[in-house]
Amino acid sequence: MQSVEKTSAMVRRDRRSVLYRKLNRYKYVYLLMLPAILLTFVLAYLPTLGIVMAFQDYDIIKGIGGSPFVGFDNFIKIFSTPKFLHAIKNTVTYSGVGILFGTWTPIILALLINEITATRFKKLVQTISYLPHFLSWVSVIGILYGIFAINGSFNDIMVAIFGDSYERTNILTDPDNFLGLVFWSNQWKNIGWSSIVYLAAIVGVDQSLYEAATVDGCNKFRQIIHITIPGIFPTIAVLFIMNISGLLASNFEQVFGLQNIFTQEKTEVISTLVYRQGILNGEYSLTTAFGLANGIVSFLLVYTTNLISKKLSGIGLW
Amino acid sequence: MKKSIGEKIFDKFNIIIMAFLCVIFIYPYLNQVAISLNDGADTMLGGITIFPRKFTWVNYEAIIKNQDILRAFVLTALVALIHTGFTVVICLGAAYGAHKKDMPFRNAIIWFLLIPGYIPVGAIPVFILYRHLHLLNNVLVFIIPGMFTFYNMVVIRSYLDGLPDGLEEAAYVEGANEMQILFKIILPLCMPVLATIALWTIVGSWNSWTPTLYYVNDRKLYQLQYVIMQLIKQSETIQKMTTEAAITGTDVSNVQPTSESIKSAAIIFSTLPIVMSYPFLQKYFVKGITVGAVKG
Repeated sequence: MQSVEKTSAMVRRDRRSVLYRKLNRYKYVYLLMLPAILLTFVLAYLPTLGIVMAFQDYDIIKGIGGSPFVGFDNFIKIFSTPKFLHAIKNTVTYSGVGILFGTWTPIILALLINEITATRFKKLVQTISYLPHFLSWVSVIGILYGIFAINGSFNDIMVAIFGDSYERTNILTDPDNFLGLVFWSNQWKNIGWSSIVYLAAIVGVDQSLYEAATVDGCNKFRQIIHITIPGIFPTIAVLFIMNISGLLASNFEQVFGLQNIFTQEKTEVISTLVYRQGILNGEYSLTTAFGLANGIVSFLLVYTTNLISKKLSGIGLW
Repeated sequence: MKKSIGEKIFDKFNIIIMAFLCVIFIYPYLNQVAISLNDGADTMLGGITIFPRKFTWVNYEAIIKNQDILRAFVLTALVALIHTGFTVVICLGAAYGAHKKDMPFRNAIIWFLLIPGYIPVGAIPVFILYRHLHLLNNVLVFIIPGMFTFYNMVVIRSYLDGLPDGLEEAAYVEGANEMQILFKIILPLCMPVLATIALWTIVGSWNSWTPTLYYVNDRKLYQLQYVIMQLIKQSETIQKMTTEAAITGTDVSNVQPTSESIKSAAIIFSTLPIVMSYPFLQKYFVKGITVGAVKG
């Protein structure tokens, strides 16, 4: 039999014809991906050019091309203006509390739901717990104003518990209550939805481990601690990393909605300040710089947390 | 397996806790429904829980007849449908390509689509861009942004990867081209995940109001939730005015606050499409998130 040796030119020709064949096969699929590529380019890549604005004294008439370059002036200004520093502090506080106390609440809920034996009641609880997630923050804010109004249910309950000497107030008008409101309204709206992922992970844990533990005399509580939690740890870790990246983010819709004339000044966060100073007041350069600094720190947070997590447990987002 | 007494007590306790939680989740909403069905003047007296004291449809009548609300309702509904339609098509197209492991330059394209998610941009450059693109005060600003998201693509692609291997290859060998494979074979099979994406998108679009805040000041183009938000904020403004007026002694009797009941009717009205379809569509909402979280 003749030995078939290919010269390198023949191999290149073969590879090229395979490539052309594939390109021909998938030609319409490229077209299918085109809208996504165009949208991403225009709506996600182009704005990155705008980052330059952070280093300019941007004049909307002169545009990016014509505005003078000012180096790091905007950044210096930001970190010496109390308003901006206060917004950073608020953002970190609200998010920090949310992460610290709110990471494990959906896990506990998922564990409790998992223990319900009556299937129809279980489904009912789940369905009801997801519902607030699908309401808009506007609806939730409206509902909150209704509950905490002077003559609303919250005050009614307080009077019922503490008697007529209790002074009715609308707690939404006190800036000191804002942290609590942000935390609890977020829990109310999202704890059910967040528990879904954990519930799915819990169900995925090998059932035979529980049977073995029962035979060994382990009670349910210890089973949860020693089997369930370690079993869903990858899920917990991944979600925790994703949450940490949100430390410098706030839920704009929630915070902006909750703010009112009584509380606005003391409760600004980064995103609402960018909106007010930037969009409303037109201080584009300053707020772009602010947003850029914010974004970079957030990215570093995710990257570092991911690195640490991989070093400690081998689990990471990438 | 017999349960210990401790475990039986825990089970009972758990049911009580869960029931209590359910009340907490539902009561506030029912409270609003009751207020919306209650006579406005009577509501001011307070004390409404989940039943209206003086039942009336008057508040809903006022809402439905209100031009601003009606127009926003229709606009938001149309925008939601159009936006969702395009979103599903575009994300499916991208996911189909991402799913084809054999396609040249596939990885480069995926990286191209992924990277922007990690670049911090900020709201202002986006605002300036929209200005240049004439998207300000333009209904397209509710439709075009968000038509493609990497997350949606990943969810659909995970689903496609989970379909039986060799289906597409077999069809190709039989002489079908990729488009025919997509429409005749893949599309019917991935209806469930497309339904999930469609539902998430339509709910997101229905509930959205920040684009109006940022990019629109033409009253005719307001999204529904934005109109509701203004209603809510307005009564807080008036409350402050009345409190301050009481201190300074100015006359504010000509200021008409929106009654609590009308506000509640507006809020409930804006949630109706979602709340009414929720029981039937719940499973579709839920399925997608596990696919996305576990595989993505």
